[in-house]
Amino acid sequence: MKSLSNEIRRARPLLGTLVEIGAAGEHAALAIEAAFREIEIIHRLMSFHETDSDIARLHRAPLLTAQQVDPRTYEVLSWAKKISALSDGAFDITVGGKLVAAGFLPKPENTEWPSEDANFRDLSLLSDNHVLLRHRAWIDLGGIAKGYAVDRAAATLKRNGVDSGIVNAGGDLYVFGAPQPIHIRHSEDASRLFSLGTLTDAAVASSSGYFTERREAGAGADPLVDPRRNTTVRWQQSVTVVAPRCLIADALTKVVRLAPRRAAKILLRFGAQAVIVDRQGIRCSARPESRRESPFGRLAPLVSGARKREVIASRIQ
Amino acid sequence: MRTSKWIWLPAAQIPIAILAPAAYGATYLTVEQAQQAIFPGEKLAAANITLTNEQTREIERRSDANVRHKKIELWKVDNGGFFIVDEVVGKHEFITYAVGLNPDGTVKQIEILTYRESYGYEVRNADWRAQFVGKNASAPLKLNKDIKNISGATLSCRHIADGVKRVLATYEVAFK
Repeated sequence: MKSLSNEIRRARPLLGTLVEIGAAGEHAALAIEAAFREIEIIHRLMSFHETDSDIARLHRAPLLTAQQVDPRTYEVLSWAKKISALSDGAFDITVGGKLVAAGFLPKPENTEWPSEDANFRDLSLLSDNHVLLRHRAWIDLGGIAKGYAVDRAAATLKRNGVDSGIVNAGGDLYVFGAPQPIHIRHSEDASRLFSLGTLTDAAVASSSGYFTERREAGAGADPLVDPRRNTTVRWQQSVTVVAPRCLIADALTKVVRLAPRRAAKILLRFGAQAVIVDRQGIRCSARPESRRESPFGRLAPLVSGARKREVIASRIQ
Repeated sequence: MRTSKWIWLPAAQIPIAILAPAAYGATYLTVEQAQQAIFPGEKLAAANITLTNEQTREIERRSDANVRHKKIELWKVDNGGFFIVDEVVGKHEFITYAVGLNPDGTVKQIEILTYRESYGYEVRNADWRAQFVGKNASAPLKLNKDIKNISGATLSCRHIADGVKRVLATYEVAFK
């Protein structure tokens, strides 16, 4: 019987945010510990800042020389390239140079500035977890690795005998087993919440301008780069994506913001659905009609067990 | 047409839950639970210290962070390590956390004890913060139990990172 009555929750500062993990069952404490360890590893492998991460090594490596990376890094890079290709570059992980120039990321040490027109095609994925850069580019996995870490942490919980749990990395989350109520914030007023209904076996990721650090960067920018305009832009709206995997949800928030028309099709392809909240109101993308469209096999219902009036996402077809 | 895939929701249909300021929060661990989580099976002895003005200045110089409390909640661990309970206050959040230090002064583990957020003035208000003192999982604060999973708030953990930096400076200056 799936139940949350004996759930425990823990939180640690990781991935530049607060990561909360909840799990029910007799193995919960050990499983949560293992899940945090997995997130720590992913953080170390994919960090832009840490000098011994796969990403930092790739930045330091001579051009056109194959570098071996961890299978997990390779998996994230593969997904990133796939989503970049599908979105025609609206999603692009080679925007690191722009984010450094705008003051959102520190300049990597012992590296040359990337070329102005660096893009995802400059990253080649070779066999056996090898990758190479064709032009100088700085890769920032900030728009996708957090979602991946959430997925891996959830898988770690399951592998350790947990059948109901949630991983929430600063708003990017995955819930499985017993359904749980999920809320999203209003982009204009953080104290107001919307109910997304009660979800299970689903990931939710949101992106918006507020709460992100401005640091020294100009007050008119958010840490979001429009690769096709080659500049940082404001979020101006909050975008929430519900998807079968958090990596997909995380990455697609950027596609929805930067290429809204194209996004509708991409969302459906991944069995995902988006909710946009801005000054004008709330918009939803179409609900995925056929679960077989999902590349992940059986896709769990996006919204299950929710009271009718709570369901933003599915009521309007 | 692609745009037809996007559907506008009329304002009247928008389901909105108003979350009262200070209503959202979570209690993860008591101090005792955090001690066992970070130093399982070890014995800890309370060894609270009060910083001198000179130590306070030196810690602020080294960590570039304000020392809010001169009284440090410190425990010595049998294995030579240390356990410290600290708090940080952000613009909208109030977080208590525990840091376990290895005998060599490196960070062993960080655990969040309580997290509260507010969009009012409460976070900087001493009375509001005082209500969290001594609270634990067996005496939880009255919270909206339906609201515990929020998407859309990528909280920076910069305040915690700054807090840990200050704790490490305190270790160097005051109890190494």
